[in-house]
Amino acid sequence: MRAVRTYLRSHGRAPATVLDRYVSLFALAMLLAVLGQPLSTMLGGLAGPVDPARAGAGVALIALALAGFLAAARAAGPVLLPAADASWLLLSPLNRRRLLARGGRALLVIAVVAGVLLGLGALAVLGAPDQLVWRLLGALVLGVSVSVAGMALAVLAQGSPSWQVWVTAATVALLVLAVVAVSGQARTVLAAAASVPLPSLAAAASGAVVVSGLLVRQAWASLSRIPTRTLLGSSTRAGHVATAAVSLDPGALTWIAEDNHWRARTLTSRRWPSLPAPLALAWQDWRRLARRPGRLAGVFGAVALPAVLAQAGAAPAVVGVMVLAGAMVAAAMGVSGTRRDGDNPALARLIGVGRRPALAARALLPVVLSGTWATLALAGLGALAAFGAVAPISGMPSAGVPAGALGAGWWLFGLLVAPALAAGALRMAERSPVDHSMPVIDTPGGSIPTGPVIWAATGVDLAVLGCLPALAALLSPPSAVGGLLMAQAVSGVLVLAGYVWRGRRKRAT
Amino acid sequence: MYDSIINVAGLTVELGGNPVLRDMDLTVSTGEIVAVVGPNGSGKSTLLRCLAGLQPATSGEVRVFGEPPADDAAFWSRVALLTDEPAWYPGLTAREHLELMGAVHARARMTVDAAMEMFALVERGDSVPLNLSTGQRQRLSLAATLLRPSALLLLDEPERGLDADFRVRLGDLLADYAAEGGTVVMATHDPGLAARSRQVSPSGVAA
Repeated sequence: MRAVRTYLRSHGRAPATVLDRYVSLFALAMLLAVLGQPLSTMLGGLAGPVDPARAGAGVALIALALAGFLAAARAAGPVLLPAADASWLLLSPLNRRRLLARGGRALLVIAVVAGVLLGLGALAVLGAPDQLVWRLLGALVLGVSVSVAGMALAVLAQGSPSWQVWVTAATVALLVLAVVAVSGQARTVLAAAASVPLPSLAAAASGAVVVSGLLVRQAWASLSRIPTRTLLGSSTRAGHVATAAVSLDPGALTWIAEDNHWRARTLTSRRWPSLPAPLALAWQDWRRLARRPGRLAGVFGAVALPAVLAQAGAAPAVVGVMVLAGAMVAAAMGVSGTRRDGDNPALARLIGVGRRPALAARALLPVVLSGTWATLALAGLGALAAFGAVAPISGMPSAGVPAGALGAGWWLFGLLVAPALAAGALRMAERSPVDHSMPVIDTPGGSIPTGPVIWAATGVDLAVLGCLPALAALLSPPSAVGGLLMAQAVSGVLVLAGYVWRGRRKRAT
Repeated sequence: MYDSIINVAGLTVELGGNPVLRDMDLTVSTGEIVAVVGPNGSGKSTLLRCLAGLQPATSGEVRVFGEPPADDAAFWSRVALLTDEPAWYPGLTAREHLELMGAVHARARMTVDAAMEMFALVERGDSVPLNLSTGQRQRLSLAATLLRPSALLLLDEPERGLDADFRVRLGDLLADYAAEGGTVVMATHDPGLAARSRQVSPSGVAA
């Protein structure tokens, strides 16, 4: 194996020189010097107890983040090889474990970084009443142990189906923990955890280290047993990602995932409802959505996130942006037909429905999706405020203000931003691929490629424009929201109508 | 309003400085089947793209239904174009693509069941188009194209991926279409299909 690596290296990049190493070390030192001051201030701010209601929501967020980490690890492989290694070295008689060792080390580094973030987050939500340094150390050790153990579980699951059950069980347990924590049932437990005596913390940390060490040993041993088929699968997936990231555009990625999903599904044809032509065309998006109920449930399960964020003490601006971004994601679930026709208009030409009627009919689903999402999310925030736990947005009816006309006003924003978000999602679906011929702007902070930036902003720009009144209300809450509601109603409808009526011709391809 | 469905006069197209079509004339009247034949790179597909209004002419004039072709809904309600394989809608089966085509067009030329039967897709109706074989996908594209009502069919190598039996069948289907008053212009390498049509080579000289 070493001989192969040496050979490959000798034909690739030049080996690192002393100068390279010096530059890396110097950059690291500079980074520490620059970040040291803010870091120590931030860590100092962690000292002291926190509000137990906030702690519950914070723990829920951390549990969700960990569950997401596990899910991402499972989805990625997690053990994978560069596409070239996968096709040239994997099918050769080289020692499998040594071949995979490099990827394994990369996974370890990723897990450690994620663990440090988790530990810091845990300390931030639980607080440190005393002995900040020791508690910080304990939290970091616990966080790293948990994330490394999670990564080891994911690696084991790649090799054998019996471990997959454990990963699923861990994910479900984390989701249950999140629900319990946010419901406030676990307040006493959390309070106890926050002020746990140092010896118990040390015991817990060392226990976690031992368990994760055992799991890592198991995972290391299992590297040679991972079936070639799964390795090839995850490695070509990573290859797709890399090619799409450097040469094509990110939009291609979602099509790969989407097409793979439908190839693996068994469907039953159903009769098409008799609707007027544009609506019959738009029905495709409704049917596709109904065929993926899991994804729908996932996105609509996330309506609770803004409320959880608010309870964890996030700033009103963050909560407000979260509501709009979530609703935009919901809207984007219902525009695949527009995306397909934008990428390849052949079928649209055969169908022969005009662009405006087609867009108008296809706007219905994203309007419904984003309107429902935003209304539910705002209603959740309103309920939170009505319970008097916290006033997430300072203008919202809190414990002091009786929930009346104002309360009704806030959730109305959910309905009124829907047309603007749908217009944004449609514009996002219709955008052209990344234009890599756009100039790259050099700034002191690094160079900015304008092509990808403009690509990423297309769609979001229209949504922000149409949601300006709602954004204004969310960022700096006025005493009465009536005027802004009116403005939002007008701007939302105007943006969507303007987008649908704008007479852009289809690209002639 | 207009005498012939297609009127091309002195059409020249240059792509990247290379002349692809030079001074081409073509007149097609209602009910005709025209086969555009010629070696690779002789401009067959470019001619079809000009007729569909997707490729601007460098010089010369193209008239379809008496006016320059426009990439809009009114034009596509009369013209059915099939070039490369279309991008299929995600989450729909092969049969549902035909159902969609039938639902969008008020007066479809045949029922979905008849089309499934005619293009031998009955057994694969519940498959996603991407899971069909190349020939089956081409049959599905042809079914979608012939299911919808149209006055002019523009086909680029419709025989692509089809087995010998079905190529003969395709010739019959196109003859039926023309007998109903439709007009067909296709680029083809299939001698059988070309033999049943008026042959035109893109240099502008009728064979």
